[in-house]
Amino acid sequence: MLSAEEWQVVALSLQVAAAALALMALPGIACGWLLARVNFPGRALLDTLIHLPLVLPPVVTGWLLLAACGRRSWLGGLLWEWFGVRLVFDWKGAVLAAAVMAFPLLVRAVRLAIELGDRDLERAAATCGAGPWRVFATVTLPLAAPGILAGLVLAFARCLGEFGATITLAGNIPGESRTLPVAIWTWTQVPDGEPQVWRLVALSLLVSVLALAGSEWLARRLRGRMGLE
Amino acid sequence: MTLTLDCTVARGGFTLRTGLRLGAAATGIFGPSGAGKSTLLQLVAGLVRPASGRVELDGTVLDDAAAGIHLPPHRRRLGVVFQHGLLLPHLDVAANLSYGERLVPAGERRFARAQVVELLELGDLLARRPRQLSGGQRQRVALGRALLCSPRLLLLDEPLSALDRGLKRQILPFLQRVRASCGIPILHVSHDLGELLEVTDELVLLDRGAVVAQGALPAVARDPRALPLLHDCGLANTLRGTVARHAPADGLTVVDLGGGRELHCPLLDAPPGSAIALQLRPEDIAVAGMAIPDISLTNQLPARITAITPAPDRVLLTVDLGQPLLVEVSARTVHHQGLAVGATVWVLFKAMALRAR
Repeated sequence: MLSAEEWQVVALSLQVAAAALALMALPGIACGWLLARVNFPGRALLDTLIHLPLVLPPVVTGWLLLAACGRRSWLGGLLWEWFGVRLVFDWKGAVLAAAVMAFPLLVRAVRLAIELGDRDLERAAATCGAGPWRVFATVTLPLAAPGILAGLVLAFARCLGEFGATITLAGNIPGESRTLPVAIWTWTQVPDGEPQVWRLVALSLLVSVLALAGSEWLARRLRGRMGLE
Repeated sequence: MTLTLDCTVARGGFTLRTGLRLGAAATGIFGPSGAGKSTLLQLVAGLVRPASGRVELDGTVLDDAAAGIHLPPHRRRLGVVFQHGLLLPHLDVAANLSYGERLVPAGERRFARAQVVELLELGDLLARRPRQLSGGQRQRVALGRALLCSPRLLLLDEPLSALDRGLKRQILPFLQRVRASCGIPILHVSHDLGELLEVTDELVLLDRGAVVAQGALPAVARDPRALPLLHDCGLANTLRGTVARHAPADGLTVVDLGGGRELHCPLLDAPPGSAIALQLRPEDIAVAGMAIPDISLTNQLPARITAITPAPDRVLLTVDLGQPLLVEVSARTVHHQGLAVGATVWVLFKAMALRAR
């Protein structure tokens, strides 16, 4: 049904989105918690920095990432020399671009879920002898889990749709950085490419709907297990 | 147990000032809403920090503002029961019970789980989630969770006030059971004086962030500043006795107060010989120079006046019935009948004015 090229595009999109999610899950939860609970100097700065990709044109974010991570830049040079990691024109660059773009959505969802949590329950757990880390792991996190899950799904969907920053940083290389949106755009530039565009648009719809349905199923199971439903 | 609180807590525009030394097996913290009762409890639990001063429990400094010492809640080894239970909704009852227990080293645990489950009759609830429990069951689980923390002190923050009257009556015996059998000192906050009198033996009366009086109820009630507050908060006598016999034809139960004194109360559902506590409001008691026959004041007992406390709008008499009994009368009654300390009067009250909780 699908051509080898189409398989490659779908597989790469899922791989990039999954890797981006894995990359940002822990920092996203940590930042969400930090912004929800801790008043520290530089809080506003961190908040702004995290949210910047949400308001900047994606191509600007991509350009700034390119400037920061190119082989000749300080950071890019370190990554190449120490880890042999190349980001520009590489699928790992697509991962970074997707993660940076989706990060604010994840942080916002986590922050909201934690802010909505009942702090009295945390206090009750503390009076039972649980220290701050244990309270976080056994009360805050499980109670915020449905909201965090929703944030992860949103972020995953955003990663699947990432275009501007991805193409700026990682280019449009089949098998490396040609994800679904990039492939769709490519075919729109080809004369008589319209049927192919429609096939990819349908694929994109299918992947998104499946991701949404899967997350809904997971969320319901989670709420059931937590005794919230 | 000795708990000393000598500090101030500032919260918004409200300041709590305490200079207290508590040593009773069970102390009731009592006062109108906004008096600072819960703040006092949170101070002991470590959930709020004092602005100045010290908190010390059995020689351990819990807080010392000047020295910058604040022992966080999880290191205080206390058991707290909150007004709404605050059970963890994502854990079943068994996991809620063991939440604190697991954090106590095995050698320092004071109770076996089975013992607490039996004491509080939790056996049938262990597999349930908190949201599947009634309010009363929730509070029993919360009490069990607190006990299994092997606390040095049990803090009860309005544990019954979210429950209706019927449920309260069901939970009170459990609190009394805990008090009698667990050997853990209790600090019990409530705005319901009747509830406190059944569980505690000493009262601390708070009003607008200050300690107004401290001691057993009869002593506290003799403080003229305390009386209006007590009155507003449902001041009631607790008469303790044993069921002597039932008189179903009269609709009455006869209760033996000891010392040859008997009184009648509405028919009780308790076997003869069982201990009973009856509540009687001070304003429901009449004072006469002699017994009066042919009147519906069924209970008529002679008693000696031991104290007379005048307040602006009423006078509180303390009389001796083998146990102290508080009686509210008007100043007019005092002049008119020539009431004086040492005199013997008859106290009269209807059987129907007595209430078993």
